[in-house]
Amino acid sequence: MAATIDALSELLETAPCGFLTVSDDGTILIVNRTLSDLLGFPPDELTGRSVQSILTPGNRVFYQTHFFPLLKLHGRADEIFLTLRRKDGGDLPVLVNAVRHERDGSMVADCILMRIHRRKLFEDAILEAKRTAEEANAGKEKFLSVMSHDLRTPLQAVTGYASLLLDGFHGDLSEEQREDVTEIKNAARQVARMIDDILDFARIERGAVRIEMQSVSIQEALTRAEAMVRFRMEESGLLYSREDCTFALAARADPDRLQQVLLNLLTNAVKFTKPGGRIRAICEADDQSVHLRVADTGVGIPEEKLAHIFEPFVQVEPDQRGVGLGLSISRELTLAMGGELTVQSVAGVGSMFTVTLRRA
Amino acid sequence: MTMSEGLAGEIVRRNNVKVVGKGLQPMMFAHGFGCDQNMWRFVAPAFEDAYRVVLFDYVGAGRSDLSAYDPNRYSTLQGYAQDVLDIVATLDLRDVIFVGHSVSSMIGILAANREPDRFADLILVGPSPRYIDDPPDYVGGFGRADIEGMLDAMDRNYIGWVNTLAPVIMKNEDRPALTQELETSFCSTDPKIARQFAQATFFADNRADLAAVRVPSLVLQCFDDAIAPTTVGEYVARNIPTSTLRYMKATGHCPHMSHPDETIQAIKEYLDGGRDH
Repeated sequence: MAATIDALSELLETAPCGFLTVSDDGTILIVNRTLSDLLGFPPDELTGRSVQSILTPGNRVFYQTHFFPLLKLHGRADEIFLTLRRKDGGDLPVLVNAVRHERDGSMVADCILMRIHRRKLFEDAILEAKRTAEEANAGKEKFLSVMSHDLRTPLQAVTGYASLLLDGFHGDLSEEQREDVTEIKNAARQVARMIDDILDFARIERGAVRIEMQSVSIQEALTRAEAMVRFRMEESGLLYSREDCTFALAARADPDRLQQVLLNLLTNAVKFTKPGGRIRAICEADDQSVHLRVADTGVGIPEEKLAHIFEPFVQVEPDQRGVGLGLSISRELTLAMGGELTVQSVAGVGSMFTVTLRRA
Repeated sequence: MTMSEGLAGEIVRRNNVKVVGKGLQPMMFAHGFGCDQNMWRFVAPAFEDAYRVVLFDYVGAGRSDLSAYDPNRYSTLQGYAQDVLDIVATLDLRDVIFVGHSVSSMIGILAANREPDRFADLILVGPSPRYIDDPPDYVGGFGRADIEGMLDAMDRNYIGWVNTLAPVIMKNEDRPALTQELETSFCSTDPKIARQFAQATFFADNRADLAAVRVPSLVLQCFDDAIAPTTVGEYVARNIPTSTLRYMKATGHCPHMSHPDETIQAIKEYLDGGRDH
């Protein structure tokens, strides 16, 4: 038995990991030889010191703001990465598991520390890649914002001057001229919308979209969105109906963002439904949620595309009128409002998109 | 429900405000960076008999409403001070005894400087108006590289979260299924928010705000505090005209967790007439 105890103490002293016991106030009570060797201290020099003295300054802050509160509040900490400071000033990255419990009448934390030199190098590479990607993303955002501003200004001139011509500001236009100028104006608006989509998407990706949640009447949001597509519906000879969307039915949402989502769904329905087809807005509610469905009798979405329809730059069919961001933006906005956007579709029969939001 | 009740409910929900206690005078406990109102659970109950204890989480921490997080608002400590003032106004608190740990000391000072009439006392646990040295005259205890080292430790310990948990949490307001997982993890629930809070905290310079404090204040200074060294606590006390400085036997930066009894006693003695001003 004595031999076993000796063997055990030998194991604790020289096992290839550090053992450390720290009191609540951060005093080192026990440290094994492996750890003191790794830190470059003589075995006895560490006991009685503050644990802070073997941490890098940044990790002292992390210890106080994260590690210790975690231990104190939850009694344990698992797989915590800490950078220790060796006696010679060098860094010693370790992974720590700790458990806090009572021993001899006071609370102590027993920790095991595993040196993670090689894994740290891998992590360094991953973190570096992550930071580079974040910087590149921020650069992209800046580029998009500058570019869109620079593009938008001449576009405004195009639509503005086209409107002047159409309004007869410089004299009457012939029928052909009127048609051509209208084409110019519509095309410029189309480009402006694409720029808005790209910018919106970039903002969503960056998490910079402002969402102001409030109680929103579904009927009101729908009415506002309908007003912006009604002309195109009539022009395309589509039948439109609204079912069970009462004024009292309200959801938790950002009114402008909800309108944007609904407008996108209705615009898509118009775009992909042939003349004579039908579009329905259907409201349903239970205790928790409001479901707003936009159903059409349009071309539908092929099964192989259905799973990808909310991904950016995916289009059911190549379409010069958009960049394939509308549904992606709509889904992200719905998620940001705490809801979800789903789709059911059969190719050749039609599609139904459902916005689900928390009931207000 | 009236409009004002609705708004009050919003703030209470947003900041996960809890009000307990039998007393009349409000005592508001504000958590520091890296944690939430839970960190006060060893201290706050001792004041429930005599005070109306108000606990809360800053937006972005604990069980606050993460969807209310606005990166612009919370890019500086003023945004957090606004959380305090929102709660004070919502509950119509007056004569508030504000107890702030670490960065919340400065947040409390900013709030009290903006609306001094609402506050009766500030209790500043381990305050620092600036963590980074400003040579030749000011020693905050840290260089920029040290703070980068802390952010690095956060990145490394949250890296799994960034990719897995965080997106789910952000989308799930009530976070029911995740509660258990979070309980075994850090109190700061979202890595991006925690990082921004860290930057707002450790790159802040609130030295100029100290002289404007008109509310009686207690500076609780721990022995051997690596985050807010004694010289910093003394600097705070020296520059707040209405302050009382008390040295504690407690070591470290979190006496309310490591030495709750001494912390309770120090606060009680101050409130029971130990003010120097």
